[in-house]
Amino acid sequence: MLNYLKIWLASMRYSVVRSMMFRGDFIMWSLVELFWMGVSVAAIAVIYQHTDSIAGWSQYEMLLLIGTSMLIQRLLMGMFWSNLFEMGRNIRTGNFDFFLAQPGHPLFMVSTRKIDLDSLMNTVVALAIVVFSVRQLGLEPSLADLAIYALFVACGLIISYAIVLLLASVSFWTIGTRGVEGGYFTLYEFSRLPKQAFSGAANVVFVWILPMVVMSNAPARTLISGLSLGDTLWMLSSTLIWLGLGIGVFRRGLKRYSSASS
Amino acid sequence: MRLLFAKYRHVFNVGLQSNIVYRWNFALRAIFSLVHLVFVFILWSAAYRGETEIGGFSLAQTLTYFVTLLVLQFFIGAFSEDYEISEEIRSGLINQFLTKPINYFAYRFTIFIAARLVSGLLALVPLLLALPLIGPYLTFPDEAWRLIVGLPAIFMSAMIQFTIAYIFGLLTFWFLEIQSFVILSMTIETLLGGQIFPLDLLPDTIYRISQFLPYYYQMYFPAAIITGRIDYASATQGLFIQAFWVMALLVIAQFLWQRGLRQHTAVGG
Repeated sequence: MLNYLKIWLASMRYSVVRSMMFRGDFIMWSLVELFWMGVSVAAIAVIYQHTDSIAGWSQYEMLLLIGTSMLIQRLLMGMFWSNLFEMGRNIRTGNFDFFLAQPGHPLFMVSTRKIDLDSLMNTVVALAIVVFSVRQLGLEPSLADLAIYALFVACGLIISYAIVLLLASVSFWTIGTRGVEGGYFTLYEFSRLPKQAFSGAANVVFVWILPMVVMSNAPARTLISGLSLGDTLWMLSSTLIWLGLGIGVFRRGLKRYSSASS
Repeated sequence: MRLLFAKYRHVFNVGLQSNIVYRWNFALRAIFSLVHLVFVFILWSAAYRGETEIGGFSLAQTLTYFVTLLVLQFFIGAFSEDYEISEEIRSGLINQFLTKPINYFAYRFTIFIAARLVSGLLALVPLLLALPLIGPYLTFPDEAWRLIVGLPAIFMSAMIQFTIAYIFGLLTFWFLEIQSFVILSMTIETLLGGQIFPLDLLPDTIYRISQFLPYYYQMYFPAAIITGRIDYASATQGLFIQAFWVMALLVIAQFLWQRGLRQHTAVGG
């Protein structure tokens, strides 16, 4: 266990050094992410010029939701996204062999190879949006609420990780599935919507089956109106289910993997 | 003249064939876009709860705008032209065009048209399948002038889209990596091109300013003409500003091309 922590720390140090070597790149990419977050915030500002509520959520409640959604996504981008994205590519090219030869569980070695410093930097911006909204709403969350919020965000991160792992693992079976991982972003968009906006079939698909909506709504709701037992059970169980699913598919794929000819 | 036509007709055919190879990529992209459309429908339906009009337009009109945008995206949007051009410069493939009687811009633009024909038609397939669901929301104005003004607007939008991508591709002459430039400018295009919300919902002054920027003419302008979001006077006036941007971007592209070639050293052979 301690050993794994050491490996992770070593890759982090390596990533930091690397980012500092390409400083211009680092600044550009930080800006890119900042701009994208600005687009979402601007969209909210413009829509609320014309309406008072979206599915019963006020402007700053909505901003809190979006900030939370960004926070989870920045964490995913910073720690796991490019590792998993490259995994899909490496499986196709056969470079994945390299990870199997390393002294550690392949899934761990694949997932922690590097971190993206620019995304991690922007988690600060996402957090600032959350704090700003909380203050605008005049909320005073208790320490327990904050702890639950952090727990839910962590659950959201694990669920996101599991889904990208699932999508990237498809590469074990099919060679020509470039861009499937991108589907995650399309689906993740829904995490910026309040649960109450969904009805009918969309409610079944996006709220009940897929975890994106609850993933951002549950932590935001905790800050706005306190802890709900239903949300807690839902978050914890869907974290377990999705992680189980992701690892399960990865394992089956790994058994099938027979390298690529070169 | 006839020779010129024949030359680029071949380019067009090659473009068609090589893009049909990517049909599954386009299909995947179209499916993602359709999922995005679901997001748009849910968001705006929720925003319209308790309101009959936002910015003077009904829910159906706003949804029609986003559907139109999606179709236009696949027919005139630049996808990966910037990266392809960048790759041709970096790998030196561009050298073969320097020694042949073919204009690189015209060559790339012809391929772009062929590619968009393929992707546009492919994107229509999932959209037609979803038509029973989307259909009831679609409402287009029936004035004839919208088509007459709309078509040149669409064509010039395609030119603006392509030329901007081309300019970013040419930056490869000076920078090794253009990806961050492209994505940075994409965020601005997404916002000021009207992809996130119809630009007319912006506060008045900002909306006015946006009308003088090229982004306005990339996507919002033709979509707004077709879906009835702007009137005759601003549409015809817009055509002139759009034409100005087409010319201006072409001049910049030509300038960068000549400067870039001076910078360029053909390596290997």
